[in-house]
Amino acid sequence: MIKWSIGSSGTPADSYYEVRSDCTDDVPKSKFKIKAGKTLSVRKWQAAFSTDGCLDIASVLSRIQKGGVHPTVRGEVWEFLLGCFDPRSTFDEREEIRQIRRLQYARWKEDCREMDSHVGSGKVITAPLITEDGRPIKDPLVLLEATSSQNTSDSASTSSKNGNVDDSATRITDKHIIDWKLTLHQIGLDVLRTDRTMVFYENKENLSKLWDILAVYAWIDKDVGYCQGMSDLCSPMIVLLKDEADAFWCFEKLMRRLRGNFKCTDQSVGVANQLQYLASIIQVLDPKLHDHLETLGGGDYLFAFRMFMVLFRREVSFGDSLYLWEMMWALEYDPDIFFAACEDASAHKSKISRSKLRGVRHFGKRDKENAKNGAEDTEGPVPISVFMVASVLKEKREKLLLEARGLDDLIRILNDVNGNLDAKKACAGALKLHKKYLRKVQAKKP
Amino acid sequence: MASSRRRTLLKVIVLGDSGVGKTSLMNQYVNKKFSQQYKATIGADFVTKEVLIEDRLVTLQIWDTAGQERFQSLGVAFYRGADCCMLVYDVNAKRSFNALSTWHDEFLTQASPSDPKHFPFILLGNKIDIDAGNKRAIPEKKAKEWCVSKGNIPYLETSAKDDYNVDSAFLCIAKLALEHEHDQDIYFKTITEPATDTAEHTSGCAC
Repeated sequence: MIKWSIGSSGTPADSYYEVRSDCTDDVPKSKFKIKAGKTLSVRKWQAAFSTDGCLDIASVLSRIQKGGVHPTVRGEVWEFLLGCFDPRSTFDEREEIRQIRRLQYARWKEDCREMDSHVGSGKVITAPLITEDGRPIKDPLVLLEATSSQNTSDSASTSSKNGNVDDSATRITDKHIIDWKLTLHQIGLDVLRTDRTMVFYENKENLSKLWDILAVYAWIDKDVGYCQGMSDLCSPMIVLLKDEADAFWCFEKLMRRLRGNFKCTDQSVGVANQLQYLASIIQVLDPKLHDHLETLGGGDYLFAFRMFMVLFRREVSFGDSLYLWEMMWALEYDPDIFFAACEDASAHKSKISRSKLRGVRHFGKRDKENAKNGAEDTEGPVPISVFMVASVLKEKREKLLLEARGLDDLIRILNDVNGNLDAKKACAGALKLHKKYLRKVQAKKP
Repeated sequence: MASSRRRTLLKVIVLGDSGVGKTSLMNQYVNKKFSQQYKATIGADFVTKEVLIEDRLVTLQIWDTAGQERFQSLGVAFYRGADCCMLVYDVNAKRSFNALSTWHDEFLTQASPSDPKHFPFILLGNKIDIDAGNKRAIPEKKAKEWCVSKGNIPYLETSAKDDYNVDSAFLCIAKLALEHEHDQDIYFKTITEPATDTAEHTSGCAC
């Protein structure tokens, strides 16, 4: 399946993420191409390590910013980009950390399995296991069993008399456990609807991996638990990293950046913060557009909700969204990210001293701009994803100004980006807007 | 008023628990397609379809929303100006039936229509195709009782997969909405169109 290509025309990255033949019309076409001399290749990646394993992250970052990461090394590269490892560590140190993490994941998974035997069983639950007041439900609907591989139908249930409260079983009283159990079927419903156009998920084991990781995550992050959209964020990790525990840790690192979006109350959703950032940026960069949106009742920018929640997973093809993500992470790369990630899990903190990295700051491009302009001194940098959305709005500006007469038109016009968005253009656009924004903000300062 | 062409626009909100088939029903109705590969709806999205009801051209603007309760605070923004509401549950999933009252009441609170007692609702019991009905968790009778308790809401059993009762369901709610508007003697919302004659707003949805 792997196609190699030399020359400037490039290979579409999606050839690495095979789409089911019956679904090719349903998915956006890839626009991102692997380009020799620009994309971070296997060779360049391997050459970036010293003999004991220290990584020259600066060269890697600049390469990624030029042309993304070659799909064959994407998983390994992402572990660094997301902050699973410190680039200054050695092969041995990383191996040790990896083993500790795998054990930790196995322990958590075992804790979950003790609470619910479906975890790790290869099954995916799609009906509630428990009532709101903690009474177990008899024979919940199990919609999938990874172990019986000949079974292609998704509707193989274990029981016909499902859904009745089991009076013989003891009632669960721990609120955390009830809450967790109540999310398990929601995870299942979404897992069965995540990236199913990909050949990868024809393998039921991969579906149950996705379910297990999300179930374990929901247990360890009690504030967030599971929220729709998280399956879209987790799926690429499972595709890219063979080991389930390694995939879990990448997802956990990603969630550190994004979990705020998913924290909801009765009154608000966490992503509202990002939407406010977006509003204030558009206000500075394009007051006319902002006023127009406001007049139409779109001043809350809720129409951009999905782009933030699943980071463009719905707007572009699978491969293109991975490219977009790694571009953002490379631009935002913070050399202290590994230590920040270790702060509360100090198990291996003593291994490498923090000071070792200080002074050797390999900034991502975006941070370089910020440092130059002193933009960081106020309330921290605005995430690049906000500028990414801003560049999508800019792309649609004329249409929005001319055609939109109501909130519904806004959503219609922006939903038209489905599959039409060019990941590369959006990145370049985002960087331009970021520069422009910093200039404008700087000019306003006394 | 007289010079601008008038068409009736009806805003339909589709609500119900996650995974009951809201997106599938809409896509079967508008695109005559059923796919096993739908994605969970994030935020809100809508599709439009034009129908002729008693010689009147009506544009249905059908809004799809996320089913997880956590997103209910988004409702206010999307329910605004709704003309009718389609509640959906999965006949094989008890919980989705039990949640109907919450969806119903929450909708009325958030959309705050002027005449909540007579606001047009319809209830759909979807996925009746599954296992030839052997996995049903909710008998038809029970669903109908619920509908009576909520002021005689019409009830239909549907299969988005087999395209069973889908058209009828949307036609039914559209008629109810029109009658309701008529009863209230309320102006019809008009859309003034740009010069072109073909005003088909089939909004892009994920598929």
